Amino acid sequence: MTTNQLTQAIISGINAGGEQFLEGTLAAALPIIWLAILGLQLGRPYILDMIDRFTLRLGADLLWLIYVALRDLLIVSGVVMSFMFFFPDVVTTDQLPLTGGLAAVCLFGVLLVKLVGDPDHNLRDFRIVSGLLGLGSIFYFVPYVLGVQANAVTQGSWAAVSMFLVTNSNPSWAVGIGYVSIALMAILGAIAAGYTLVTGGRAEAQEPASK
Amino acid sequence: MRPDQIATAITNALVMGGAQWLVATIVAFLPALWTMTLILHLGRPYVLRTLRRCGLRLGADIWWMSYVIMRDAVLLLTFAFSWVFFAPNIVTNDALPITGPLAALCLLLALAVKLSRRVDDDVMAYRLATVFLVLGATLYYGALVFAVEATSQPYLAGFGAAFTSNTNPLVAQIIMYVSMVGVVLVAGWLFVRASLSANRTMAPRLKAGQPPVTKEPTPVAR
Repeated sequence: MTTNQLTQAIISGINAGGEQFLEGTLAAALPIIWLAILGLQLGRPYILDMIDRFTLRLGADLLWLIYVALRDLLIVSGVVMSFMFFFPDVVTTDQLPLTGGLAAVCLFGVLLVKLVGDPDHNLRDFRIVSGLLGLGSIFYFVPYVLGVQANAVTQGSWAAVSMFLVTNSNPSWAVGIGYVSIALMAILGAIAAGYTLVTGGRAEAQEPASK
Repeated sequence: MRPDQIATAITNALVMGGAQWLVATIVAFLPALWTMTLILHLGRPYVLRTLRRCGLRLGADIWWMSYVIMRDAVLLLTFAFSWVFFAPNIVTNDALPITGPLAALCLLLALAVKLSRRVDDDVMAYRLATVFLVLGATLYYGALVFAVEATSQPYLAGFGAAFTSNTNPLVAQIIMYVSMVGVVLVAGWLFVRASLSANRTMAPRLKAGQPPVTKEPTPVAR
């Protein structure tokens, strides 16, 4: 082996290892993000109950704004970190949950409902958001727990199911679901862009008569 | 192989690998930055709706200020990180989306609209900035997802070869230099505009030889 060959081998190792480490870190952080999003969404009554107990309007405003900012930034982070599910090379190489791309679409759908509707004051919109979060968490956690985290210990027919739920052991489905997810994301993104172009970035949702 | 040769190989690998790792990290984070940029820009109606419900001016101001700082900082950072698309060596040697420089130019155009017009008050300016951002994102994502990140898909091989910078270096260089000229023109226009604006506001004071006027603080009720 020449010095140059060894140099190139080390460079390849650094880059490939670094990329897989980055993607692995994102994949490991996503369940935590999902749980935090679900916790904040389901914890809304607790926050509202606490706001009622504030004697100062300032404290109530700040608590509500911090809650909304944290909850929505986590959803945005979830969408951003789920971008790897749309890359065919990544899903065929790494062990990722099969329907992770569809979970990302659900998260993006939540953002779209927040953009065009008013889930904090409109019950129908709130139900849609909660439903999308529930569906997204099923899309993420079922293949993650039963596939990615169980494929080394399952046996028999369960092992086949487990392998089916992991992207790199089921690449044809993974790439297909990836393309479906990309198409859905493109449609939702086009709706969001169209909405903001029509409204010119103004808040157009009708104010509810009573809170 | 002698120990000094191994040491040389490791040193070279760390230096060259480190440089490639830096570029690869920037390229890997650009989709995240682009997505953040789009979401924050398009999410303006939602932010305004939340702002309207603040009972106190202080809360509303903190909310709006945080949003504007984050939105514009992410936009600027995305453009700053797009510098990799204007380095001829990197464009020729690394696998980058071939339309990346055009996407960066669209980002700069959106920034130029923000700098030259009041995007938060002027609906048409907001729409113009939105069009530039959506166009830039489409140029970036299309080539990234279906070319750079799809080398394992044989049916996308033709598209991948055409839209990846290091497999189509001639076209990549042409797009890069065209975009570079665009960036220079837009940046030059912004520079001239800022200079003219400074002249308009500061020159009269300099001619009169007066120091800048600072307003006396308004007395408050005690």
